[in-house]
Amino acid sequence: MPGKVRKTSGNKLTAMMIVHNEADRYLKDVLEHLTAFVDQIVILDDASTDDTPEICASYQKVILCRNEESLFFKHEARLRAQLWELMAAAEPDWILTVDADEIFEDRMQNEVKCLINQCDFDGVEFRMFDFWKSTTHYRVDGLWNPWPRFSLLLARYFPEIEYTWPDRSFHSGRWPMFYRGRGIISFQSDIRVKHYGWARGEEHKEKYRAYKAADPEGKYSSREHLESVLAPQNTVKLEEWIEIKTPPF
Amino acid sequence: MVAKGKVGILTTNYYNPDGNRIIYGGAERYGLELTKLLLELEYEVAWWQVGTGWQKEMLPGVPLYSIPETGDNFQTCPRLNQSFYEQAVQVDFAIYFVTFLAYPQVLEKSISISHGIFWDYPSFDAVIPTEELRRERLRRLWLAFNGPRKIVSVDTATIQWATTTWPGLWHKFEYIPNFVDLNLFSPSEQERKDGKIRVLFPRRLTSVRGINEAARAAEILTKKYDNLEFHFVGRAHDDNLEKEMVRWSAKHPNIYYYWKAPQDMPHVYQNVDIVLIPSKSTEGTSLSCLEAMAAGCAVITSYVGGLPNLIIDDYNGLLIRPTAANLTAAIEELAFNHDLRKRLGQKAREVAANFGLEKWKRSWAKVIGEVFK
Repeated sequence: MPGKVRKTSGNKLTAMMIVHNEADRYLKDVLEHLTAFVDQIVILDDASTDDTPEICASYQKVILCRNEESLFFKHEARLRAQLWELMAAAEPDWILTVDADEIFEDRMQNEVKCLINQCDFDGVEFRMFDFWKSTTHYRVDGLWNPWPRFSLLLARYFPEIEYTWPDRSFHSGRWPMFYRGRGIISFQSDIRVKHYGWARGEEHKEKYRAYKAADPEGKYSSREHLESVLAPQNTVKLEEWIEIKTPPF
Repeated sequence: MVAKGKVGILTTNYYNPDGNRIIYGGAERYGLELTKLLLELEYEVAWWQVGTGWQKEMLPGVPLYSIPETGDNFQTCPRLNQSFYEQAVQVDFAIYFVTFLAYPQVLEKSISISHGIFWDYPSFDAVIPTEELRRERLRRLWLAFNGPRKIVSVDTATIQWATTTWPGLWHKFEYIPNFVDLNLFSPSEQERKDGKIRVLFPRRLTSVRGINEAARAAEILTKKYDNLEFHFVGRAHDDNLEKEMVRWSAKHPNIYYYWKAPQDMPHVYQNVDIVLIPSKSTEGTSLSCLEAMAAGCAVITSYVGGLPNLIIDDYNGLLIRPTAANLTAAIEELAFNHDLRKRLGQKAREVAANFGLEKWKRSWAKVIGEVFK
């Protein structure tokens, strides 16, 4: 594991994100939110046909690149690799990978510097809460349960590594292989992430169809989990989101 | 640079056995500092623990291997010990991170560590319920104590128990109390003027650490006083308890629950007045207690394990029997006696100076030099 890039101060944090037709969803909230605590936001627009690129470009910290043809459901790994190259060109010390519908608790703004300006760990994992048909309740049955599940969203960037991606057209993951498997040394944070990707019930059927079409045989993700998107309401377990007080110091 | 040799360290859990959840306790932080020291002393280091066969790094360049042996009996893990013995064939020296892991066999040049008496909790009697079983447990402990060349004990309580039970063992023990980085943990230079009295419970949320008593005291006192604020800072052993803590703290305006990266803890201590270390059992010389002392906080703790090695009652902290009522009374006494808090905090800082990280490293380096040659 390379060590010379670790430093306890002055680390530059770059967020990276793939967007596609996000203008009427949560994009502005996410960009406002990120602007408060990251140094740069590298965005790869996957051929949006709405105002997404214009919205992105209106934020000072954004570095935007646009694709003419959408790749997400054709070969996601290629798209991820492309975003990775753009991010690398911005020369970050740390990378935050987010989607255009994910928002950290406010504590992140106060604590992110402490999470990155240290040499003891190279990644930070967070619990992600999938809001379900509302912005007040999240889903907890089956694989949706956020409590036992931590996801790597923040990690140190090592410029000398030759990064590779799995040869997967769909569900290729946000991180290159170096960050997976044996993995990097990571810290599990209690700062929660709100995921609004499923907050609009009217989008569920369309999203289900798109995911099923991209992976009809359940090759890249759990079929059971995908089917649970359309599960009868009485089998879906929800918990109410409870705001946690931000420590006063 | 050629390493002086390879040190294999066997522990039970640095991560949970499934490899997904890091344990953030004092013993794990001890493990990190010990590893850093060994690297400074130019040894190569590798760790082993219980697990499903996964492999990780615990520090850059320091592998952590897992051994798929989960069985334990009489509070020993002979299969884990055996697998380590076979797998560690390429190591020159061994450290058994917990004393009982040194049963039944050890590498020739080895050290074990006692982090404190761990069999002083009330339900222990039910774990080893008959005289015959207790005899077998003692027999195994005797073998585990005898195997390594040295046993580093973080407190005097363990040494006293062992040498009272088996007087011949006294030469095995080295008392090296736990440490605090005095540069990182120091009192705040500014006195807070927000009118709040902040009470901190900086421990893992387990019964033996007194979480239930501390939570009860917090409920009673926040109901009684508006200017008292409680901060529970630490992880639980399972996700459900963490969820419950989130819900519980949300119901009480002056009770907070969160955890922080270790690097952020000095800042937490600098912003609180009173620190609770109300351990009921399985305690050594608590790192949290030392950190609170170094930060000049007024500490309320218990006469359990090695805590009296750190705190003299009414001199540099308060020593209590950790019931909810006693804890509530002690917090109340300190919360409304500024002078007492200040005096205990100042003395705590002075005493903490004797437990600095550098001194701990020198003591450990001496033992390592004697055994690993």
